[in-house]
Amino acid sequence: MRSHAAAPPSRRRFLALSAGGAGAAALSGCALQVSGSVGGGGETVTMMVSPGDITPDQVRQAKRKLGIGVELVKWDITKLIAMLTSGNPPDLVRGVGAVDAAYFAARDVAEVLDPYFARSTVLRADDLDPVNDLWRFDGRTQGKGPRYGMAKDFSQDSMYWYNTAVFDEAGLSYPPETEPVTYEEWAENARRLVRRRQGQTIVFGGSYAGLTRSTLLATMTASAGGSLFSDDFSRADFTTPEARKALAWYIDYCRTKVGPSLIQPDPNGWDGPTYQAGRMAMTNSGYWLGGMIATDPKLAEVSRLAPAPVFAGGPRISACQGGTGLWMPKKARNKDAAWRVFEWFFGEEPARERAAGGWGIPTLKSLRSLMPRQETYQQRTLRVQEDELKRFSVVSFTPYTRADALDALFNQVAPAAMNGRISVDALAGRLNDVVNEQLKRGKEQVG
Amino acid sequence: MTVDQITGPAPAEAPPTRHGRGRGRGTSMVARRQRAFYLFTSPWIAGFLLLTVIPMGYALWLSFTTFDGLSPHWRYIGLGNYRELIHDPVTWDALGRTGLFAVTSVPLSIAAGLGLAVLLNRPVKARGLFRTLIYLPAVVPPVGAGLAFKALFDQNSGATNGVLTFLGFDAVGWLADPYARYVLLMTVLWAAGNIMIISLAGLQDVPRELHEAARLDGASAWRTFRSVTVPLLSPVLLFQTVTGMIASVQTIMPLLLAPLGDTTGITTVPQSNYLYMMHVFAQYFALGRYGYASALLWVLFVIILAVTGLLFRFTSGAVFYHVDPEAKK
Repeated sequence: MRSHAAAPPSRRRFLALSAGGAGAAALSGCALQVSGSVGGGGETVTMMVSPGDITPDQVRQAKRKLGIGVELVKWDITKLIAMLTSGNPPDLVRGVGAVDAAYFAARDVAEVLDPYFARSTVLRADDLDPVNDLWRFDGRTQGKGPRYGMAKDFSQDSMYWYNTAVFDEAGLSYPPETEPVTYEEWAENARRLVRRRQGQTIVFGGSYAGLTRSTLLATMTASAGGSLFSDDFSRADFTTPEARKALAWYIDYCRTKVGPSLIQPDPNGWDGPTYQAGRMAMTNSGYWLGGMIATDPKLAEVSRLAPAPVFAGGPRISACQGGTGLWMPKKARNKDAAWRVFEWFFGEEPARERAAGGWGIPTLKSLRSLMPRQETYQQRTLRVQEDELKRFSVVSFTPYTRADALDALFNQVAPAAMNGRISVDALAGRLNDVVNEQLKRGKEQVG
Repeated sequence: MTVDQITGPAPAEAPPTRHGRGRGRGTSMVARRQRAFYLFTSPWIAGFLLLTVIPMGYALWLSFTTFDGLSPHWRYIGLGNYRELIHDPVTWDALGRTGLFAVTSVPLSIAAGLGLAVLLNRPVKARGLFRTLIYLPAVVPPVGAGLAFKALFDQNSGATNGVLTFLGFDAVGWLADPYARYVLLMTVLWAAGNIMIISLAGLQDVPRELHEAARLDGASAWRTFRSVTVPLLSPVLLFQTVTGMIASVQTIMPLLLAPLGDTTGITTVPQSNYLYMMHVFAQYFALGRYGYASALLWVLFVIILAVTGLLFRFTSGAVFYHVDPEAKK
C-alpha cells in the first residue's frame, strides 16, 4: 500500500494546484508595486527615466523645494509595458517626442495634459517652444491636438558639426554658416575627408545616420519635398521620387563607407567619442553635442555647427528628430504631485541648469537667454543655431508603430543594398512590403 | 556498440534497519522520508510552477493572439501566428543560421574543451594555474566578454587588425557581414573552459587500471583514448552535447556585438549573426509582437525537445552508463 505522500498527483489534483499557483501569481501580479513607489498623499512620484535625465542632486532638490519625493526607475520599454498593463505605471515616463508621443497617445495610455498646462503659471502656453508640438496628437496627426508631454530640451538633429582641422588638412573650404550645403555636397565632402590605410578608416569623412533610420528617412524625404507616410499615416511609400531620393542617398552613404553604418560599425556606438578623438570630420548631431564639445577647449576651437543640408530643389527644413521629455500615464496614481514635479523639471531649476549647460535648446522661450554665449565659439554656434531655428519644422511620425520596429525591419533588408547585392529600387519595394505589413498590424491594434 | 554497465564490487549486505523490523514503523519511515523529500523540493517545485509552467502557459495563450503589450484591440487569432511563422522567410533564415551555428559550435567547443582537459589531466608543472586561466573566460560576464570582443575585433582600432596590418595584410571588418559569424564562434570557443572542467572531472573518474590494462595489451595512446577514455566519457559528452545544443540555439551573445547600439540593440545585429533568438527578441522588443514572438518561442521549445529526443535515441547505443547498483533499488 502506498503512503499518501508517495502517491503521484492526479490530473485533477495537478490542475487544482496549478490553478492555485496561477491565482497566486495573478494576485501577486495585481499587487506588483513599483520599487519604493507611491506613498499616500501624493508625496512620492515615480519617474521612469534614463541615467543622466535627472541627477541625484536634483532629486534631493525636489524633496527640499517641493516636498515631494522622487523615486527613479530606469527606463526600460519592457518594464514600462509590464507596469502599464499591471495597472501600476510610473507617474512620469521618459519618451522621445518625435516617435513616442503619437504611439502612446494613440493607445490611450497617456494622459492629456492640457488642463494642467491651462492652469500652470510656470509652463505658460505662450512660452512653449514649437518643438513641444511634437508631443501633441489629435488622434491622427502629430503636431496638432492636445498635449501629452513636453520636451526637456531639443536640437535640430539634421544639422551637423564639423572639425575645421580635418577640413584644413584635406584642403577643403568650410561649409557656409548660414546657407546649407546640398546632401550631395555633404557626401562629396565626406568622400574627400575620409582617410583610410590598409583597409582601416583612420578618419571618418562624416557620419549621417539620424536619430533612427526611420526618422532620418522621414526627415530627408520631407527635405526632398515629399512625405514618407500617407496622409493617414497607415502606409509608407519608399518608391515615391522624394523617398527614393532620400533612400538612395543614405544607401550610397553606407556603400561608400565614408562613415559608420551597419556595414562599417563604429565600436563607440555613437559619434561623440570618435568625433572627440579627431577621427570624424563631420557628425550629424544637432546643437546638443555642443555640451560635449565644450568640455574640451581644443575641440571646441576647431568645431563648427552647420545648417541642415537640403536636396536641390527641395524645401529648406530643419526638424527635431528627438525632443526627449516626459509624459504622464493615464493610470498614474499621483497626478497632481507628478504635475508639480513636471513643472519644476521643465520650468524651474533643472530646466535652467540644462539651458546653461549647452546640451540642448531650452523648450521654454524664456530660458533661451541662458544658452551659453561667453566664449567666441559659443557665440558663433549660437548665431548658426538661431538662424536655423527659423527653419524648424515638425515631421510627423506614424502612430502605428515604434521607430525601433521600423529600424529593425530596415536593418533586416537594407544591408543587401548597402553591400550592392540589390538595387535601391528593389530595396524600396521590400521596405514597402515589410513596413506596411507592420503599419497595417499597428492600425488594426489601435482601431 | 551496446550499453554496458560498469559496476563496482558488490556492496556488503546492509545491516538490518529499524524500518525493516515492522511493517507499520517501516511505512511510517518511508512516509517521513517522502514528506522530507517533498518538503525539501517544494521551493523548487513552487519556483518551477510560478516561473516556468505559468509563464509558458501564458506564452502559449499569447501565441494565439495579436497582443502587443499596449494596444487596446488585440484579439484571439487561433493558429494565425503559427501559420504566419511557417510562411515567414526571415524565421526560416534565422532557424537555418541557428542550426548551422549549433552544429558548428557545439562539436568544436566540445572538442576544444576535451582536448584541453586531456592536456591538463597530465602531470605537468603549474597545472592548476593553467586550469584556472583556461576556465577564467567561462566566469567572465557575457556583457564584459561582448565588449572585449567588440574592442578586440573593431576594424579600425582593434588589436586583431593591428596585428594584421603590422604583418602587411589589409584590415578586416570583423564585426560586419560576413565575418561577424566567425567572431561569434570565437566567443563560444573562448569560453570552452567550462566544458574543459566537466571533461576533466569525467577523465578523473576513468579507472586508471583500465588504461594500464590497455597499455599492457599494447594499445597506443590514441587507441587507448578512443577505445577506453571516450567510451567512459560518453555520458559526459552526451550531457555536453545536449546542453551545448540547447544553449547554442538560445544564443543571445550577438546582441552584445551589435555595432551601433540603438535603443534595443537588436536592430543592428549583423545579418550573419541574426540567429533565431535575435529574431524572437526583435519581434518582442522592437516590433512589439508578443503573440508572434511567443509562437516562435513555442516552436523553438518543440524543436529543442525533438532534437534532444533524437540525440538520446541515436546515441543510446553509444553511451556507457556507470550504474550504481544501489540506485536501482
